[in-house]
Amino acid sequence: MRKKEKILSEYIDSLNAEIKPARHGKPAESAELEELMDTVRKVRSLREPAMPGDGFESRVISGLSKTGPIHKKGASSKSSAKYARNRVWQKSLAAVATIALIAVLAYFILPFGNSNIVHAMERSFDAVKAYHGILEIATIDGQGQETIQMVLDVWADKEGRYHVAHIEGTYDGLITANNGRTKWQKRAEEKSLNVFPAFPDPYRFAFELGKEIELAANAIEIREVGEDTIAGRQTTVLEVTPQGGLSYRIWVDKETKLPLRKQSGMFNAIQYRMTYKDVEFADAIPDELMSLSVPDGFTVVDENPMQLVSSIEEAGAIAGFLPAISLEAPEGFEIERIAVETETKTIKMYFISSSDGYEKAVLSLRRTNSGFEPDAMAVLGKIGDVDTEIILNVQDDLGTIPGGGVYGGSNDICSVRWQHDAYEYKLVANISPEGLTVFIKDLFGKELTIPAAYEEPQEGPMIKVPYDIEVEKNTQKSVDSGSSPWRLDPVYVAQVFVSLEMSPGGIEGDYPIDYDDLSILSNDGVNAIIEVNDPESPISRVYLERLVRQDDTGIWTVVGYDPAP
Amino acid sequence: MEEKEFAKLQEGDRESVEKLFASTWKDIYRFIYYKVQNREEAEDITQETYVRALDHIRRSDKKIEKHVDFLKTVSLNILRDRWRKRSRRGTMVGIESIDPTETAVEDSSDIVSQRELIRNALDRLSEEQRKVIELRIIKGYSTAETAKIMNKKEGTIRVLQYRGLKALAELLKNSV
Repeated sequence: MRKKEKILSEYIDSLNAEIKPARHGKPAESAELEELMDTVRKVRSLREPAMPGDGFESRVISGLSKTGPIHKKGASSKSSAKYARNRVWQKSLAAVATIALIAVLAYFILPFGNSNIVHAMERSFDAVKAYHGILEIATIDGQGQETIQMVLDVWADKEGRYHVAHIEGTYDGLITANNGRTKWQKRAEEKSLNVFPAFPDPYRFAFELGKEIELAANAIEIREVGEDTIAGRQTTVLEVTPQGGLSYRIWVDKETKLPLRKQSGMFNAIQYRMTYKDVEFADAIPDELMSLSVPDGFTVVDENPMQLVSSIEEAGAIAGFLPAISLEAPEGFEIERIAVETETKTIKMYFISSSDGYEKAVLSLRRTNSGFEPDAMAVLGKIGDVDTEIILNVQDDLGTIPGGGVYGGSNDICSVRWQHDAYEYKLVANISPEGLTVFIKDLFGKELTIPAAYEEPQEGPMIKVPYDIEVEKNTQKSVDSGSSPWRLDPVYVAQVFVSLEMSPGGIEGDYPIDYDDLSILSNDGVNAIIEVNDPESPISRVYLERLVRQDDTGIWTVVGYDPAP
Repeated sequence: MEEKEFAKLQEGDRESVEKLFASTWKDIYRFIYYKVQNREEAEDITQETYVRALDHIRRSDKKIEKHVDFLKTVSLNILRDRWRKRSRRGTMVGIESIDPTETAVEDSSDIVSQRELIRNALDRLSEEQRKVIELRIIKGYSTAETAKIMNKKEGTIRVLQYRGLKALAELLKNSV
C-alpha cells in the first residue's frame, strides 16, 4: 500500500515537472496503478497544457530535414517563423537599432559603476515614453531545468497605460489592457470581453520596468556579480537585496541601462526567471491597442455598470439620497467626473490631481443598514471618532491579470472605508498615507488617524506563547513564494491557533471555532488583538504580531492569549 | 488544399512543409499533451507525428483533405504503439494497421464533456480528498507544499491523494 502511494506521488511529481514519467516507458506494476495513473492524467487535463519552449518549431523543422521528409528544393528556404503568430519576435533588428539610439542620446556619457547604477537606470527610464517587449516567464527547478510558463507581449507607457497579451502558456489568448479611461480583458477561449473601471487598477504586470527600477532604488543593497549576454545584448548582473524577501538578480543592459532579466532566489527548489527577449521603445502605445473594440461573436460583460451624471444633484436623484459632503475638491485636485453605479445605487466621485493627473482618488458613497465589519487584513484607524478600515496595498481579484505570480508586484493604491449616519464611505486612491490624511481633512473636515506601527500594544496577553524566530523567518519565505497565504490574515491565524487548542490532536473536518466568531479588537499593522466570541472557546483573546516583516506582506504569529473567564 | 500545394508537400518541398507545420503544430501538440500530460513526451511525439505523417503523405496516393484530423490520427497511432510496446501482452501495431486517412479522431466536444465528467466527479469526493487532488494535480504543488497548506504531514497527503484518486477512478468508471 505504502509503495503504491509513493509510486503515484512520484508519477504526479514527474508530470508536474513536465518530464516524461519513467512509468510511461515500462509496464505498470498492476492494473490498479495503471488505472490510477490514467485518472491522474484525466484530472490534469483540466489544466492548460505547458507549451513548448522557444525554438521548438525550428528544432522540429531541422529534425525533419535530417530525417528525410524535407527536400531542399529551389528557393524554399524561408524560415517557418514567417508563419508564426507573433511577428514581434522578428523585430529584434529594429529594436536593437532603437535601443542603440536611445543609449547614444541619453546615457552614453554616464559611467556605470555600482554607486550610480540605480541613478543610471532612473535617468535611462526618464527618457522612455513607452516600451514594447516580449516577456518570457520561466521556472527553474533544483536540477537547473528551465520550464517556460508563459510568454507575454507587453506594451506599457509612463502614464500607467498598458496592453498585455498572453501569447504562450496557460492563459494563451488572454489580453488585458488599460487605456486610462477603461480597463478590459479579452478572453479568446470564452469569447468574452470584461470591462472594468480604469481606476483603481490593482494590477501591475510582472517585470514592469519602472517598478523594477523603483524596487532597486529602495533596495537595502545592490552589488555587481558578473556579466552576461541576454538575447545578444551585453548585460551587467546585479544582486539586489530588497527591503523584505529574498535577494534576487537583475541583468541590466550595458547600453540602455535598463533591466532585461530578473531572477528570484531559489526557494522550495524553484526559481522564477523573467526575461525581455525583445524590447523596443516608442513615443506611445499604438492607438489600435488602446481602443476598446468588441470582436465579432464576443459577449461584453460590464463589471460595474455605471451612469455618468453632470452634477451631484443628478447623482442623488438616481441613487435616492443626496450626500452631505463638500462639493469642493481638495486642494491640488479637481473633480474629473461623477457617476452612479446603477445596480448598487452607489455614487462615485472621481478626483484627479490638477498638476499632472497622476494622482487619482475615487470616493464611493452608498446607504447601508449592515454593521461595520472591517476587513481582516486592514489596519484599524479613525476618522474623527469613527472606526475606519485602512488598507495600504489594495489587492483585488477582479480584473487582475493572472501570471504575475510572486512577481505580480505590489501597488501604491490604498483604501479607507468607514460608516457614518447610515452611509458607507470608501475612498480608494493612489496617494501616500500622508497625502490621504490631508485629502480627507479637506473633504470632510476631520482628521484621519492611522495607528503608528511599532508601538507597544497597550494591553499585554495573560499567557505568552513562545515562538522560534528562525521558524517564523522560514515561514515568511514560504509565504513570499505563494504558500500558506492564510498566514497574512490575523483572524485566520487566530482561528487556527484557537482550533488547535480545542483539538490538540489535529483538526478533522471543519474548524471547531468559526471564522465569523472572531473579531478584530485592534490592529495597527504590527500588533493585533482578536476577540473570540464563542462560549465553547477556552480562549477569549489572541494576541498577534508581525515578527519578521512589518508591512502588509508580513506574516502574523500568535504571541499570547487570554484564557476564557 | 489545392492539388498543386499537396503535390509540393508530397515532394517534400521545405516551404510547404514549414507552412503545414506552422499552421497545425499547436493543435497537434495540445491534442498529444492532453493524452500524455507532460511537455517532454508531448514535444517528442509531436515531432515523430510529422516525421511519420510526411512519410505517409509521400508514399500515399490519397490526397489528405483535413490535415489536423489526419495528423491527430497519426499521433494517436504513435501513442497506441508506445503504450502497446510497454504492455506485457501487447502486440506491436504499425502505422498502416490504422489508416490515418480513414480513422475518426475524437472530437473536441468529447474532451469538453470528459472535463465536465471529471469536474463532477471531483465535486463528489470528500472535501479533503478533493483539496489534495486540486493542489497536487491541478495546481501542481509538491507534497511538502500541499502538506503545509493543509497543515498535515506529507505521509497523510500521499494517503489522501491515493484514496482520492481511487474514489475518483470508481466515480469516473460509473459515469461512463
